[in-house]
Amino acid sequence: MLSFILILLAALFFTGVINRTKSILSGRKGPGIFQPIKDIIRLFKKGMVYSNTTSLIFQLAPTIYFSSVIMAMLVVPFGQSKGFISFHGDFIFFAYILALGKFFSIIAAMDTGSSFEGMGASREALYSMFAEPAFFILLGSMALLTGQTSFQEIFATLHLGSPISYALAVLAAFVLGMIMMIENSRMPIDDPKTHLELTMIHEVMILDNSGFDLGLILSAGLLKFSIYGALIVNLFIGMFPYEYTIPMFFAIQVLAAVITGTIESFMARFRMSHNAQFIFALTSVSLLIFFGVLMLLGKFI
Amino acid sequence: MINVLLITFLITLFFIAIANRLMTYIKVLAFQGVILFTVVFIQLNDINTVNLILILMETIFFKSLAVPLFLAYIIKHNKITREAEPYLPNFISLIIVTMICVVSILLVNSIKDNELDKIFFVVALSALFTGLYFIISRRKIITHVMGYLIIENGIFVLSLALGSEMTMLVNIGIMLDIFVSVLVLGIFTNRIGDTFEAMSVDNLSNLKD
Amino acid sequence: MFGYYLIIVLLLGIGTLVNRNNLIRILLLIIFLSAQTALAFYGFSHLKTSELGGNFYYDSLGILFLFVLTILSYTTIFHSYLYLQHRKDDSRNQSIYFAALIILIGAMTCVYLSATIGVMWVVIEATTLSVAVLIYHERTHLTLEATWKYVFICSIGITFAFVGIVFLSKALQEANSVNLSFSDIPSHLQNINTFWLKLAFIFLIVGFSTKMGLFPMHTIAVDAHTVAPPPISAFISTTLMNVGFVAIFRTYSLMSHTSILPWMNQILLLCGFLSIFVSTVYIIKVNHLKRMFAYSSLEHMGLTAIGLASGGIGYFAAILHMVLHSFVKASVFYQIDQIHRVFDTYIINKTGGYFSKNLTGALAMLLIFVSITAMPPSGMFVSEFLIFRSLFESHNIFLFVMILILLTMIMWALGKNIFSMLFLPYDEPGGKIVKINPWESASQFVLLSAAIYLGLNPPDAFMQLINDAVMLLHK
Repeated sequence: MLSFILILLAALFFTGVINRTKSILSGRKGPGIFQPIKDIIRLFKKGMVYSNTTSLIFQLAPTIYFSSVIMAMLVVPFGQSKGFISFHGDFIFFAYILALGKFFSIIAAMDTGSSFEGMGASREALYSMFAEPAFFILLGSMALLTGQTSFQEIFATLHLGSPISYALAVLAAFVLGMIMMIENSRMPIDDPKTHLELTMIHEVMILDNSGFDLGLILSAGLLKFSIYGALIVNLFIGMFPYEYTIPMFFAIQVLAAVITGTIESFMARFRMSHNAQFIFALTSVSLLIFFGVLMLLGKFI
Repeated sequence: MINVLLITFLITLFFIAIANRLMTYIKVLAFQGVILFTVVFIQLNDINTVNLILILMETIFFKSLAVPLFLAYIIKHNKITREAEPYLPNFISLIIVTMICVVSILLVNSIKDNELDKIFFVVALSALFTGLYFIISRRKIITHVMGYLIIENGIFVLSLALGSEMTMLVNIGIMLDIFVSVLVLGIFTNRIGDTFEAMSVDNLSNLKD
Repeated sequence: MFGYYLIIVLLLGIGTLVNRNNLIRILLLIIFLSAQTALAFYGFSHLKTSELGGNFYYDSLGILFLFVLTILSYTTIFHSYLYLQHRKDDSRNQSIYFAALIILIGAMTCVYLSATIGVMWVVIEATTLSVAVLIYHERTHLTLEATWKYVFICSIGITFAFVGIVFLSKALQEANSVNLSFSDIPSHLQNINTFWLKLAFIFLIVGFSTKMGLFPMHTIAVDAHTVAPPPISAFISTTLMNVGFVAIFRTYSLMSHTSILPWMNQILLLCGFLSIFVSTVYIIKVNHLKRMFAYSSLEHMGLTAIGLASGGIGYFAAILHMVLHSFVKASVFYQIDQIHRVFDTYIINKTGGYFSKNLTGALAMLLIFVSITAMPPSGMFVSEFLIFRSLFESHNIFLFVMILILLTMIMWALGKNIFSMLFLPYDEPGGKIVKINPWESASQFVLLSAAIYLGLNPPDAFMQLINDAVMLLHK
């Protein structure tokens, strides 16, 4: 319950903070922090235009995408407090409900028959495919470490003590952060600033969406950001009481946004052909986390 | 703490697998030298001063300073292009290095020996085979030397793992041998660079039946 | 004594390097040879004593190969001198050549006499580095390529050997011993974790096979033969392979008292058989004189490994075979230098009628053919016969037959090439006639007859040395 509200709140400013950081770093004043929200509200007021070549799938997809993100949000816990839904193995549910939404957005993009959107869809599918093992190995090793199988129990029993567990937590935060960038098509993988269809991934898939649908997709994107942010926060807050964790949550979210903005201001996007290996590197790193967990448990000494 | 450093060492292997430029390789090698020094520093508590100076020389001076500078000099002197030019795409390299890592974990896990510090063993074996893989899969001669250095680093970790006690004389001999062989390899690399247009192993395939 | 020897070698090496005067160079080389001879005889009279804080040790195996090295040093230095005179190298190159040669001989002496495996590792790497200078002597693209490969792969091989040493010391640690000397290790290896020993053996044999030119890492030695100056080829093929053999023999003798002996024998048999197989395959199609004899060396190393693996009389035969092979193969490469001067090529197709051009050399070559293919009265007939006997006695009949067939093919290929070079009429286009002094072949006749003599009627002292060395395995 708590996590749901917190994620919603964080989503309000997350993208805004990124944009603001980027504009300040590039010497501009930039739009207000809530500008993305205002854009979405404007879009919600508009009607939709559908291409004649599209079918029902194209009209359904944005709604399914948005609701899948909401569903995923429901299972994310916050420290000791559960999410709305919590059961054994809910992190698998989390990953696959997001994948379902992604699947629909991919087939919707294919549905339009546009060559650009097909290209974007293929890339999106490829990158999610590579990112998936990283996510599962990471959460699998967390589950192994704590002996629990649901998000809330994993995070509640996760506590850091030895140097190696700190190192693992930092590595895990890194992997989750990178998965967040991949899922939202942000900087090292995709550059949201470029509006060249050939190089875009996510943006190119929603070229044909308009009005309310576009608003849904954009707001789902905002929510996704703060969902992953919340997961990272959860790695560290485990045992603390709420009066510390809630400010920590916002602090870490803002920090994540500022870091993202800074990276985007100073780094160039990877070459498209290097993306696959970069994403696969995350899998390798999470394998190392798995190995470290085995070591922590004494199964491997 | 040692475990953290050793895991960092493994990550540097992955990083080399996807690095594109020779300078990155050199920097990673230097970084590995620093990691090894820190590991030794923590590992060997009751070390005497002479041995400490020796290891300081070997890790900080040779591995992190002299050899990287020398390699950078060779690259500059021979105007070697900055790309590493692997035979296989980096993506496949990364998969192979990951496989090497996983296989050595599995292999080491099958050893029944309680006294053994297995993480050292994993890191050493991974570095050994990753070095061999780099030698096989890279086209430039200078990257072969770098692969050799990765193997050397792996063996350094291995000798730490097994805590082998060598006499002073042998220690110095090993250190000198490694340094001299790197030097000789470097000099020959220079010669090859002067003799042939491009420093590629394709030039070195005239001796056959 | 050994300390003085090392100092003398270093000083002479430096002296030769800086000296540019021909007479002084000859003088320095003579001093070096006398020091080398003195050390050999001193070691022979002080068997079973150690020097330099137990790091070096005069044992029968080391002394035996030290004598071989000393004898071959005389001939190699003499033929190197001739080779350099005919190439008209400038004084600086000659200085580098001889300095590297002195260091190489010194390093090989150290390997034979080293008493601990760590010291042996260090000096083996020193042999690699010094021989690299010699291989590179002609300074062409091909020598560059061969030297690069030689140094690089030897370095990797020696690194593998180091891993083996580390594993061995791990095994010893479990037995509460940190002493890595050859004489102490076996007593600690009785009840030991064989897993570490097996790992150590695999890594050591792969590492040292770069030096011995045995199967897994044989290619670089073959390439190095192709381009090295012929006197240096003689060294690579004989004393340097003895270095590898001594290293492998010592490793083998360390572990021969443990339960992994049958397993080690299997590995050695495999290495040996594959060496012979590979050498047969290549020797049939090869057309380069030096490469042909390089592959022949590979074959003989394979036979030695098989003799070692078969046990019994095979141990004796393996050591005898190495000694005789050293004498025969050295004379081959000295003779090849003359052939190269006559025909100005190593390609067998472009040679012929050697009998009409250099009668003494051709006779030497004929004798070489008889010796290298182990036909009686060659001494190697005795050693190969003993190897086959041990192979037969160890019930490896299938392998026995296979190897005999392969050896017949090798004999055919060698005969075809050598006889075409000796007897086939050949008209060279240029018609430049090179006169070779018949006395240059004297060393070959001496070495070949020594091989025959040692094989057929071995003197007692020689037998005693070999039997002492074999005793290491029977303790």
